[in-house]
Amino acid sequence: MATSTTRAPATPDPEEEELDTEISSIRAEIQNLQKHKRILTSSLLTTDPIQKLLKQPKPRAETNPTDPLSTISPLVHAAGAHNSSNHHRIAFGATAFPFKDPSPTASAATLLGVRIDVCARNGRFAKPYYILLQQERTRARPGPSSGSGASSKVLKVYRHTVPGFISIAKLERVYLPRSGASRGAGNEDGDGGVSSGEDEDAEPAKPWKKSSTRKQDLRGFVRELRRELVAWHMRVDAVEFLREKLGLVGEGGGSLPFDVSPDRDTGIVSLAAVALEARYVRVEWVDGRVGRFKLSNAGVVERAVVIGDEGRDKKIENAITGGGGRVETVLDRLRVDVLSGSPGL
Amino acid sequence: MARPKIVRAPTTASLPNNLRIPSSTPSLTKSLGRLSRQALLDLAFTWLDDRNIASFPPYLQSNEEDSPDDDEALPYPAGETIEEVRQVYEDLQDRKGAKREVLERILEGDWRHGITLRQLAMADLRYMDDHPASLRWTALELSQIDTKRKNSKTPPPADWSGSVPRMQAATFVQGLQREISPLVKAHYHLTHSATLPLTFLRIFVVDSPYQSPRQAAEIFTDSSRVIYVAFPDSCPYVYISIAASSGSKAAPLANLLTTDTRTLQRLARFSLQATSLAAKNLPTLLALRGPGRSTASNGAFSIFADAAIEGSPLDPRPSNTVSPEEHIGVSHSGPAEGKENTDSSANKRRYSGIDTGLLSPDSKKRRLAIQSRFGTLGSSLAPAPLDRLDIRLLDKPGSSEDQDEDVDDSTSTLPAVSLTFAGADVIGGIRALAELGIIDPGRMPSWMTGEEGVSVATVRQGQRLQKDI
Repeated sequence: MATSTTRAPATPDPEEEELDTEISSIRAEIQNLQKHKRILTSSLLTTDPIQKLLKQPKPRAETNPTDPLSTISPLVHAAGAHNSSNHHRIAFGATAFPFKDPSPTASAATLLGVRIDVCARNGRFAKPYYILLQQERTRARPGPSSGSGASSKVLKVYRHTVPGFISIAKLERVYLPRSGASRGAGNEDGDGGVSSGEDEDAEPAKPWKKSSTRKQDLRGFVRELRRELVAWHMRVDAVEFLREKLGLVGEGGGSLPFDVSPDRDTGIVSLAAVALEARYVRVEWVDGRVGRFKLSNAGVVERAVVIGDEGRDKKIENAITGGGGRVETVLDRLRVDVLSGSPGL
Repeated sequence: MARPKIVRAPTTASLPNNLRIPSSTPSLTKSLGRLSRQALLDLAFTWLDDRNIASFPPYLQSNEEDSPDDDEALPYPAGETIEEVRQVYEDLQDRKGAKREVLERILEGDWRHGITLRQLAMADLRYMDDHPASLRWTALELSQIDTKRKNSKTPPPADWSGSVPRMQAATFVQGLQREISPLVKAHYHLTHSATLPLTFLRIFVVDSPYQSPRQAAEIFTDSSRVIYVAFPDSCPYVYISIAASSGSKAAPLANLLTTDTRTLQRLARFSLQATSLAAKNLPTLLALRGPGRSTASNGAFSIFADAAIEGSPLDPRPSNTVSPEEHIGVSHSGPAEGKENTDSSANKRRYSGIDTGLLSPDSKKRRLAIQSRFGTLGSSLAPAPLDRLDIRLLDKPGSSEDQDEDVDDSTSTLPAVSLTFAGADVIGGIRALAELGIIDPGRMPSWMTGEEGVSVATVRQGQRLQKDI
């Protein structure tokens, strides 16, 4: 007996090992199938016929407690509610929800959450972006500015998950101005004194505008923010698209190791966004020329600089920005035969 | 690049890249010796690369002929060609062995004529890549000085992301050089980190106006003379390392820090503002003051940063039936994915600590409370460990109101209570204490959950005050 116990751990049976791996692979498969089943059940519950069926025979379901429909109805309701909120998220891109800060020292009011969904190029949705807004009560200000009542609710950005290069503070200053913040009001007053009569000429009919703050515009805030987020995703997608076209992206989606053969048509060896923001794109040619171009929010190449051994290469620069300047077709404009065929500048 | 070194006159140029430090300097062995064997080999390959070989020429036999009186006692014969030198390191790469042999080969063999300042800088930055927690960093925020607020009434600018100052590090260095060159001599090295989305600027300072300082060679490896500035990609923050300097050496560095601000102001009308965050770990800084999602939502709000509660709009499953791990793990194809270092692999591990197995209803309730307070932050593996948290409490001790009224004004200047937490991961530690039932998760103030994302804070009635008093 002693011999058998010592032998067992020393040399693991190859058959046993095989069985172990088999068991683990089967377990993984079971998990996958269970996941699949859950997705299928919930999509089945959200289908139109089932939802309709549940809504129509209401009186009968109440009278008969053993009806199978009534036992699953909470599930179906949940699925239906989830489905409709998903529809809103897909269709409108921005949805609102309440959120209670769990902190004991936080103010009692719930936060207003805004969720922004952005669809990427591959048909998937990016991680949703959230902005949580805090409601602040402000004292009544003298004058006609606080029209609605003695105290008005003002929104303030409390927390958000927007990437750092989109300036929430700046957006907030324009769309969600607060009268309580004396800084903004003071600056405005100072501005009015310093600047020439232009501003006053622009709004001669609204003399009260100068002393009061503008109204908060949450819709405008969310609209501009969403536009900026979508533009970022589109820039990233455009760069990714160009890289795919050049064959710089590997099978698994990851980038290939450094030494890839240059693209035959254009002679480009590398093309990549300069930073996370994907505002600037850096291009390298096989003959050592290096270029950079700037993408606008609309997907147009705004500016381009290409530098070779003999200084700026204006011909290529013009090709990058010319022809409408769409970023998606930039490689077609950079093809060697197109460039050489076109008359010199 | 080589400048004549015969005439010693004060100049305003920076220290040249190719200024050589004698290889026999003991401290050089020490500072290069911090690197691992593989890192040393990688560095040697970089130096011997075709594109860099002009900047870092190894010692060859042809050099030997130039200076025949060189002693022959050195253990490594000089190579004939660069190919031969490369081969030596490739052999070392294939073979297993001690770090020592590579180090000696570099210092006493192929670069026996000295290690240049640039090589030293590369070695230092390689060390930083390998050990992101080796220095203490302070995060500063760049903010535009509103001298002319033109757009206060004009229609809003179309480009909201244009607000991030586009830091051209090269321009920054030029401006800095212009400012400090009359005072000190400096050597600058700029590089993008291999592992993190950061651009490092390494500044080495010597207090001498001369091109080739005559100080002892030891001075070049003095780490208190080095200051690091890191520019994270696409966000308005700058990280500056606090050198562990003491005494007289601190003077030029302090100077430098002030000029940093001044230079920036001159260049682009930006000012640097403290953000009350200093930490040892660069990933922490990137998570709390970086370009990613988690910069402005931490603690209870980290569920939003990780998108842990709701799935993609295409997911038919109601979100309360899906575990947070799955929400995070789902291949959301955000552009930031993969670039943020604290990504799904870390998140998965973070959750592995929580298993809702056999629990009493009490501890289950506590667990839920903890999860709602801390969110995804600071569980078994926190992505952003803070090594230090300083809190100043302004609340008066003794909660009863009557007592306060009895005390007259002269004694109202009560000693402020300061708390300092230190450790490998402060927030993770507080979470662990809450899990053990030592801290009541429902009643603790929000600064204990890391919600503010700061390492220094002044607190009154559980709320962090924006301005330090």
